Amino acid sequence: MLWVDKYRPKTLDQVIVHQDIAQNLKKLVTEQDCPHLLFYGPPGSGKKTLIMALLRQVFGPGAEKVKVENKTWKIDAGSRNIDLELTTLSSANHVELSPSDAGFQDRYVVQEVIKEMAKNRPIDTKGKRGFKVLVLNEVDKLSREAQHSLRRTMEKYSASCRLILCCNSSSKVTEAIRSRCLNIRINSPTEEQIVKVLEFIAKKEGLQLPSGFATRLAEKSNRSLRRAILSFETCRVQQYPFKDNQAIPAMDWEEFVFEIASDIMQEQSPKRLFQVRGKLYELLLNCVPPVVVLKRLLYELLKRLDAEIKHEVCHWAAYYVSISFQILFIVPLVDFPSPLECSAQAAYIQPPLIRANSDPVALHS
Amino acid sequence: MQISLSFEKFDEVLNGSKVSNVIWNQENDSALGSSSTQQLWTDKYKLCSLEEPDVQKKNVEHFLTPSRFEGLVNPKRDLALGSSSRQQLWTNKNKPCSLEEHAIQKENVGRFLTPSRFEGLVNPDHDSASASSSTQQLWAEKYKPRSLEELAVQRKKVEEVRAWFEERLGDSKDKFSTNVLVITGQAGVGKTATVRQIASHLGARLYEWDTPTPTIWQEYMHNCKTGLEYTSKLDEFENFVERIRRYGSTSPSIPGESKSSAILLIDDLPVTNGRTAFERLRQCLLLLVRSTHIPTAVVLTECGKADSVDSTAQSFEELQSILVDAGARKVALNPITNGSIKRTLSKICRQEQYSLSTEQIDLVAQASGGDIRQAITSLQFSSLKQDPMLNLSLSISKPNFPEEKADGHGGFSIQFGRDETLSLFHALGKFLHNKRETDNLVKMDQDAFVVKDKFSRLPLKMDAPEKVLSQAHGQARPVLDFLHENFLDFISEDAIDDAWAVASYLSDADLLLASFRGRLVRYNEADNVLQSAAASVAARGVLFGNSHPVPPRWHAIRKPKLWRVDQSSLQKKKELLKKKFMAWDGSISADVYNGSSSSDVSVLATEYAPALKWLGNRTSVGLEAHEAPIPDNETQDVDIFEGMSLDDHESEISNYESEDDWMSEM
Repeated sequence: MLWVDKYRPKTLDQVIVHQDIAQNLKKLVTEQDCPHLLFYGPPGSGKKTLIMALLRQVFGPGAEKVKVENKTWKIDAGSRNIDLELTTLSSANHVELSPSDAGFQDRYVVQEVIKEMAKNRPIDTKGKRGFKVLVLNEVDKLSREAQHSLRRTMEKYSASCRLILCCNSSSKVTEAIRSRCLNIRINSPTEEQIVKVLEFIAKKEGLQLPSGFATRLAEKSNRSLRRAILSFETCRVQQYPFKDNQAIPAMDWEEFVFEIASDIMQEQSPKRLFQVRGKLYELLLNCVPPVVVLKRLLYELLKRLDAEIKHEVCHWAAYYVSISFQILFIVPLVDFPSPLECSAQAAYIQPPLIRANSDPVALHS
Repeated sequence: MQISLSFEKFDEVLNGSKVSNVIWNQENDSALGSSSTQQLWTDKYKLCSLEEPDVQKKNVEHFLTPSRFEGLVNPKRDLALGSSSRQQLWTNKNKPCSLEEHAIQKENVGRFLTPSRFEGLVNPDHDSASASSSTQQLWAEKYKPRSLEELAVQRKKVEEVRAWFEERLGDSKDKFSTNVLVITGQAGVGKTATVRQIASHLGARLYEWDTPTPTIWQEYMHNCKTGLEYTSKLDEFENFVERIRRYGSTSPSIPGESKSSAILLIDDLPVTNGRTAFERLRQCLLLLVRSTHIPTAVVLTECGKADSVDSTAQSFEELQSILVDAGARKVALNPITNGSIKRTLSKICRQEQYSLSTEQIDLVAQASGGDIRQAITSLQFSSLKQDPMLNLSLSISKPNFPEEKADGHGGFSIQFGRDETLSLFHALGKFLHNKRETDNLVKMDQDAFVVKDKFSRLPLKMDAPEKVLSQAHGQARPVLDFLHENFLDFISEDAIDDAWAVASYLSDADLLLASFRGRLVRYNEADNVLQSAAASVAARGVLFGNSHPVPPRWHAIRKPKLWRVDQSSLQKKKELLKKKFMAWDGSISADVYNGSSSSDVSVLATEYAPALKWLGNRTSVGLEAHEAPIPDNETQDVDIFEGMSLDDHESEISNYESEDDWMSEM
């Protein structure tokens, strides 16, 4: 088991990083009925960990007995029937799923799943809480239609079902949903906190962790605890005992983007553009989200460009990223048959990306 | 045949020999419209109008009207009203009139309804319009070739086929390995006509297999009641082939026929649906090729040059190769040349005394696209336009029809003829090669739109891009993907600015299509507009953006790599999730909850995957399947094994699914 999973705090009391929030949550669920919750914050800040710990707090250790299911929903959408297959994680008391995996049909997922859950209300023999919890991941990637129908279902079934929503950016969740939830912002852990966690793990594993190395790991992690722990474990495999100046391996896709940036700077010709495009396809093939690629590429390019054209390159990058989001969030993507968000993004991010790369102003430098 | 019976009775009436009760009845009850014969008339009429359901109604009317009206020669009758045919007729009929007049009317009605069938029954004494009866026939039928010389097919090919048959019909027929000839060619190039003429030229008897007409549902229901079994067309064909094999001839009852002078013509192979049916047809054909003793011509109609993903096109190819592989000789007929179509058309014009300028004939010939049947039908159609009576009826029945079209040249727009099609690759080639005039020949008009130098381009050496697109049946998405994949090859080496411009236009087109992926699918109108706008932006963007096209040389056009990327990234995503869940399964069975929850794919791909790759050799969830993990103990080993085999299975399935998706998207 990866250290990330192994040393994940199981209960709200074990939490190291967001102790204050954990305590508040504990109070919230022990003293009164739990409202709908919306957790938001940057990746690797501990949203999921808190949610799982919270569920355990509410339902006891039973919440940890989860099973993975590939469930198919048959949905009657008026004129036709849609079959949706989605992976869910569920225990006796909660169901977790990522409706955005269903791509353009996410709206139906939201409606159907909640309805079904409301139907099979758990029978509370011991007079325990008679509600189920539905954990929805990546709500910010839901289409506007889906968010709208989520709002309606939320109201209708609130007696039997609590929602815990989880997302990176609350700005992409509609106002209506946000106002119906208790919003909990989870900040990225500070570097000191990360160092603290790393030291905790080192102690448990019985490792000597030089403080300089821990600091460097924390710096490199971009304040993502998950990333810090993952690279910590990677370093452990590569070389132990640790040295202060030990190399911290970069993510392979980041190195790949670095290569792309060098290619772009070296030569600007249609032929090179073609090669670069091939490399971008490679990234997409490995499911690296286009927006992430674009951001990283901009970051790499900015390091090498002259000051006067940085502005222009930023402009185009922002332009194409915003277009991609516009499509995702303004135009409802409900009915398209192949629920492949990544491909959809890939398809339209793809040419823009090339344009950003080959921006003539940038390339004349 | 009830109808013809009643006609015979009519003849009797006309001859004054006998007055049958039926007729009287009919006449008496005609106002009520309830007699049995009357019922038959209406039925008959229905059938008549249904006879050509796929032809546009308008055209049917055009075709039928002349013959109708030539029949209705009585000037007293109100011809202007004649266009609303049925009503007119019944009103006429309901008028009280003398027996004879009534009968003539009937006769006219009869011609009107079933011209061809009635022909045999017409009593020449009473047929006032017999002089013009020839026009009733379709010209394509009427002027079908009567001799080998009349065939418009290439002389060389005809000779080839003739020689083949002659050899086989000769005495030493045993020395040939096969007796099957495959004739291919697009529709209307005279494949069947060639065989027919050769057969008559050689004095051979022609046996034909025509695909039986499909069983309609009512028929089937009827047959069920009478206890007849339904036989599929394929069964019938199999039986036919079997008979030929056994008895060497279709109808053994014909006496005095020597086998040596028989030719078998298989005009249309049964349509098969699905692999099993196709396999049966294949076996059947193999059997035919190997064992038939009569010279046999199999006629296969080519499915046009447009590269349809249609299964019929595929099965055509397959059938052809099956036959050829089995040893059949193949003769491919080309589309008939413009020249010989024109010759045929002007001959018909001379015979019909219908004057048409050479340009017009040229136009008709060109519009036909090498299909002579189409050309002749078009000619007949255009000849109708000069019929003044037709004009009259037209202007009444179709008030919107522009008057000026009726007189001569105006009518020769693209109202008939086959639409030319291009293959998708042809169209793509046009866009990518970007052929332009070498210098600007178009004289600038006074009020022409003046553009800056950097925006002006030389005129295109092709039709408008939109027209090319529509000819290629190009759907926006594939066109865009193909252009995007290939355009870089066609941009000169130092023109990165051009590449930028083209990419940016393609991106715009993509944006249009991306929104189309969503909800708008439901609204056909909006969908169409977006689709065509996107395709147009893409095509014109490529044409405009590439301002310095490289000198033309041969480039292979690649299939968009993006499609593969789409597919495999989906697969990869599934794999990633699966891997993640497999780890859970293992831990759940060990009753230890590892506390992790599902993470989204982006996190898995960007953070877990690289880390796991590093840790690959140590953990049980090595991301790379081909890097064999070194397990710590045996139980883990089992886990991995199961996980991997399951994964393989899953990826196979998803592969099929995505293929299906791809197909459906096409």
